[in-house]
Amino acid sequence: MGIYALRRLLISIPLLLVITAIIFTLLQFTPGDPLDAYIPPDQVVTAEQRAIIRHELGLDQPKAVQYARWLQHAVQGDLGYRIKNGEPVAAEIARRLPPTLLLMGAGMGLGVVLGVLFGVMAAVRRYTALDNVLTVFAFLGISTPAFLAGLLGLYVFALKLKWFPAGGYQTPGDGGVLDILSHLALPALILSVTYVAVLMRYTRSSILEVIHQDYVRTASAKGVAYPRVVSKHVLRNALIPVVTVIGANVANLIGGAVFLESIFSWPGTGQLYLDAIDARDYPMIMGTTLVLAGTILLANLITDLMYGLIDPRIRYT
Amino acid sequence: MLKRSLLGLTLACASLGTAAADKVITGAFDVGPGGAPQAFNPLTNSAGFTWLNKYFGTLVLYDVNFKKISGDLASSWTVADGGKKYTFVLRPGVKWHDGQPFTSRDVKFSIDLAMNPDSGSPFASKFANIKNVQTPNDRTVILTLSKPNAALLDGLTNFMILPQHELAKIPAKELRNSAWWRTNPVGTGPFMWSKYVPDQYVELKANPGYYRGRPKVDRLVNRYFKEPAAAVLALKSGDIHFTYLSLDDTKTVGNNATIIAGPSQVVNYIGFNGTDPRFKDPRIRQAVMYAIDRATIVKQLYGGGAELAGCVVTNAKYVPKGLNAYGYDPAKARQLLQAAKWNPNENVELLTYYGDQLSKDVLVTIQQMLAQVGMKVTPRFVDAPTFGQTTDKAKPTFDLVYAGSANGPDPDVMYANLHSDFTPPNGTNRMRVNIPAIDKAFEAGQAETSPARRATIYQDLCKASNAQLPWDTLWVAKRFGGASKNLVNFVWTPAPGGGRYDDHAEDWDIR
Repeated sequence: MGIYALRRLLISIPLLLVITAIIFTLLQFTPGDPLDAYIPPDQVVTAEQRAIIRHELGLDQPKAVQYARWLQHAVQGDLGYRIKNGEPVAAEIARRLPPTLLLMGAGMGLGVVLGVLFGVMAAVRRYTALDNVLTVFAFLGISTPAFLAGLLGLYVFALKLKWFPAGGYQTPGDGGVLDILSHLALPALILSVTYVAVLMRYTRSSILEVIHQDYVRTASAKGVAYPRVVSKHVLRNALIPVVTVIGANVANLIGGAVFLESIFSWPGTGQLYLDAIDARDYPMIMGTTLVLAGTILLANLITDLMYGLIDPRIRYT
Repeated sequence: MLKRSLLGLTLACASLGTAAADKVITGAFDVGPGGAPQAFNPLTNSAGFTWLNKYFGTLVLYDVNFKKISGDLASSWTVADGGKKYTFVLRPGVKWHDGQPFTSRDVKFSIDLAMNPDSGSPFASKFANIKNVQTPNDRTVILTLSKPNAALLDGLTNFMILPQHELAKIPAKELRNSAWWRTNPVGTGPFMWSKYVPDQYVELKANPGYYRGRPKVDRLVNRYFKEPAAAVLALKSGDIHFTYLSLDDTKTVGNNATIIAGPSQVVNYIGFNGTDPRFKDPRIRQAVMYAIDRATIVKQLYGGGAELAGCVVTNAKYVPKGLNAYGYDPAKARQLLQAAKWNPNENVELLTYYGDQLSKDVLVTIQQMLAQVGMKVTPRFVDAPTFGQTTDKAKPTFDLVYAGSANGPDPDVMYANLHSDFTPPNGTNRMRVNIPAIDKAFEAGQAETSPARRATIYQDLCKASNAQLPWDTLWVAKRFGGASKNLVNFVWTPAPGGGRYDDHAEDWDIR
């Protein structure tokens, strides 16, 4: 398994290289130049000043040279400097990553726990009122875009019911653990909605496939208690496709977090990404892409390794 | 805020120890068009002055109505030698936040720094006429100009004076993005730097040594919001005390806050690509004016919250009577287009960087109105960098634009937008306006020192722009802010770039 993981990690390297090359190429086709974002439209800057800034930002170099330079530094762990404010890209990402991981972790944790739980409940009580209600909610959850759910959630829970603060990461001047948790709760819940819905549907259908297998009937016939049949014999076998879905949805989770971070003024990588795109901040866009792509690849690897833990029949060669 | 959370009780107990007794005003001071979130360099900022002037000072500043300029760090000044010599007497006893005395050398240092191309400051062009800065003593600054510049004082109203003892050690080139601006900047304003939590908020604390007296509140917090709608929600829920509002927001804020309305001083216009022969004929630009029912748009879409603009100048002092009103007249518009041999099958693009709903409604309405007189336009919405790149190109290929230009109390700010010397890449005359009468009027207005004669010059300029239509000026919209009803003595107005105007922040208080 160790060799398998290593091989997968090595494959990731050319993959990341291709991703950055594609993003860099796409950026060159994006209208708007970093300098136009750097200098506000109503600001009078002489041609001389413009040339100084362009040279300092390295934008006067040929495109291929710009990419090669970026890559040369990136492999040494230096992601360059932000055009917008000259701060090191790596440091900005490092500062923004913990809030994003916190939000994604909480959203994913809630999503997995609630999604599997509801899925089991819906499968065991198939075609009952409970199953129907959960199914309706699942479809609502799958079809509601994150930004809409975010705005609705803010309106209902922050503005009308006043259960949660209306966005932000902390109360200025407070910033204790409980303060941050109270700010985290609402965006994490909303981020988990799609996850809950998707996982519930998969868990339900996967369990229904397993629950009529012979070995399940055998277990019941042996006199094993029903809850134990479900948890031990059914769920463990039904979880494999579910784990695939968990891993595959990490990319969606990141997508959702990008929008939710903006709506909730959550100071994470998603917001940073949108900022960087608005400002055509090439080094920042490249750096964030690299980190997010790396996260997704890592999530996929972890998913694959999880199979082995759940199902001992699976071997890595 | 804590008691609102699900963990209400526990949290309330946990927070007892940290509950601060000090007075704090929290606002979204960098949301909206005048804001520049997380940009703290007053030399390169063209917006965000609402926040910067809380801890930096200027020599002079406007009153909140932008009618009169009075002294801030300068207690008085005189203009001599036909407008070529400005002598400022500095206020005595002013200290930097770190306790160092503020002197004339700081003023000289700041102006020299702005004029150094390495600092990348747009003030370099505003100060282009300054020949030298002398400091005969600690409290006197003499600016000698190569030729008169009547707009110099206006330019100085948002020029923040910086501490020489802190900044002289940083090379001008590095200063642009220096960490100094966001770690512990030292100013002379009513508040001093306390804490910056990147992407979340920046906090100032009261300056006990402020020359007008210690501010009434202890802390001033500027919270950042990526989405303006989120800031409005935070205002409604009571999390913050102030934010910028859109016209639609003013309808929903209700009883949660006091709505502050003021003229944006931004004139919206339809611009024509001056290098494109299709738009050379002035009758085409006139036809567009007659074709757009501006009164109805202002009434229906802006809910009356905008004033028609007769020319490129918005300050009423410089707008003469007897301008052509270009009242809605589609028949005349059609005639003019036919006379100018406009091809009704030609489809032109109307480029804009505005992405808000109101502007979208406006552009769709304009599209329909122009279609009725035989001019096909297609609005195209892009972001600001794309707009900049499209219009800054050496050989621009755009057709029409719908844009806004920050005007302000002194018409001289329009110099760089309309004078032929400022055609890109040398400036922001993106429409490539090249009308000799307008060039001359801007030059004369800058050189003239008598306020009365200056007024006549700009009135003539207004008349000329109304007749020749370098831009089809449409209207000046109002802009809005929402302030919590708990605020006392709170002063804010939607100035371009955030000011600077005298908001007496030291008197702001909270119930």
